Amino acid sequence: MNAMMTRALRKQERVSQCITFIILGSVGIPIWNVLQKTYAADTEAASAATPLNTLSPPLDNLYTVLSISFVAILFGIACAFYLQEWLPQTNWVRRFIESIVAILGGVPSIFYGILATGIFFSYAGTLKTIGVVRAPQGPGDGAALESLSFPHDTPVFYIVVLTFILMVMPLTIKTTQAALRSVATPIREAAYALGASHWQVLKTQVIPIALTQILAAGCRAMSSALATVALIFGIYVWQYTDAPGEMSNRFVLFLSSALLFSIFSSILIKLCTSASADPAHPTR
Amino acid sequence: MPRDIEMQTENVKPILSVRNLSIWYGDKQVLRDLSFEVKQGQVTAFIGPTNSGKSTLVRCLNRLNDFTPNFRATGDILFRGVAMGAASDATALRKQIGMVFRKPIPFRGSIYENVAYGAQISGNNASTHLDTIVEENLRKTGLWSEVENILGETPEQLSIGQQQLLCIARALAVEPEILIFDEPCGELDPIETVKIETLVRELTEDYTLIFATNKRRQAARVSDVAGFLYCGELIEFGATEKIFTNPQDDRTEQYVTGRLG
Repeated sequence: MNAMMTRALRKQERVSQCITFIILGSVGIPIWNVLQKTYAADTEAASAATPLNTLSPPLDNLYTVLSISFVAILFGIACAFYLQEWLPQTNWVRRFIESIVAILGGVPSIFYGILATGIFFSYAGTLKTIGVVRAPQGPGDGAALESLSFPHDTPVFYIVVLTFILMVMPLTIKTTQAALRSVATPIREAAYALGASHWQVLKTQVIPIALTQILAAGCRAMSSALATVALIFGIYVWQYTDAPGEMSNRFVLFLSSALLFSIFSSILIKLCTSASADPAHPTR
Repeated sequence: MPRDIEMQTENVKPILSVRNLSIWYGDKQVLRDLSFEVKQGQVTAFIGPTNSGKSTLVRCLNRLNDFTPNFRATGDILFRGVAMGAASDATALRKQIGMVFRKPIPFRGSIYENVAYGAQISGNNASTHLDTIVEENLRKTGLWSEVENILGETPEQLSIGQQQLLCIARALAVEPEILIFDEPCGELDPIETVKIETLVRELTEDYTLIFATNKRRQAARVSDVAGFLYCGELIEFGATEKIFTNPQDDRTEQYVTGRLG
């Protein structure tokens, strides 16, 4: 019985939940670092070979798009799982986050672009002095930063990352939660009645049914975020940078690689869905 | 019949005792102060009109109500003398007290995977062992001859009745001691209902069965002991024969004769 559950047990559960959440969340950061380092090493080697130089800008941009989205979406999905599966509906943390997500999810994406250009650009200098945005330290570090698709002396790169996360996360959380909710209670109960634990129910029933929807959710969030943010940044940079020709070029590449990625991922999702969507096996 | 003799003897060990069980969903009280005992090897049926709390009651017995929001309960349920709830392991409990639902819910995957599910989640993955489990339990339900050649296919092509039998086989494969049926024939046609009822009678040799239904005659046919639930109260609980032929309470008499509910 719920009411009879001892307090100590509940506390234990809470602690283990928190630990899982932190582990899941922090997985993204080392991945990001490792990717960045390998990437820096790669470009140094690549810049030595002259013919590869012409290839690097589109690859730069594709790399940026892929890695940011990977981290942001992974974190969003982890958040949604925690909220939907582990926190009870009455929990204040869940209600708080859900209301924030509902508000952020309803904001038209163009406002994120305005937010990015307005707030983040104005405070970029402050962010740099307090150390949130890292200034280049030493020649080696500078080279690594310079090799990113955006020049290191303007913190555009970090602004893109921040805006992305702010924009992708609520959409991903919202749609992943909806996907998890779409797995009907009877299926879960039938699995529980056979003696499956919470993890086993998730692993064997819920995730297989909700997976395509979760992936689609991530891609949808990505595409909408990319389209608007890239456009706004394109306009900003085209207007205000010292070398407008070069920068707008870079942003056209950024935009096109983003578009390429979203088209590619949506095709992939379509293929996945048609392969697994058995008409006899609807997502009840 | 030996079972009748067993039924009459008062000293059969109770496998499940419920004491002063009351249940609330939020502020609404659904069950009021229920006390009864389920004896080993018998079929205990709960009858009553819709919304009388039958499903809530049987779902309590394997702690499935733990997932219902705003659920609150007082009182004790003892399985083999040990109180469930508090620090007890609900997952282990549900392996011993299985359940079959009103609507058959086959899982994703093949018929074979469905029956093997219980064994697999318990960490039993040796394929020869699984083969035996699948065949044995499908034979028990009488479904083996019909699905022998289509074990690798999805259960959706089976009829609703066959799917329900598959769900029973799946529940039996976990090797429970008690099996709860929550209106198992609610969606079935009369012929399939007869099949399930026959199966229930056969299963009493190995299992203790609890049966919730709103069909009076069905309860009369399959059960040894019956309880009449009305508006969350257990009006009468006793031998089926007595409930149906010589009820003590007026409301029970009105219900079994068809004047109530």
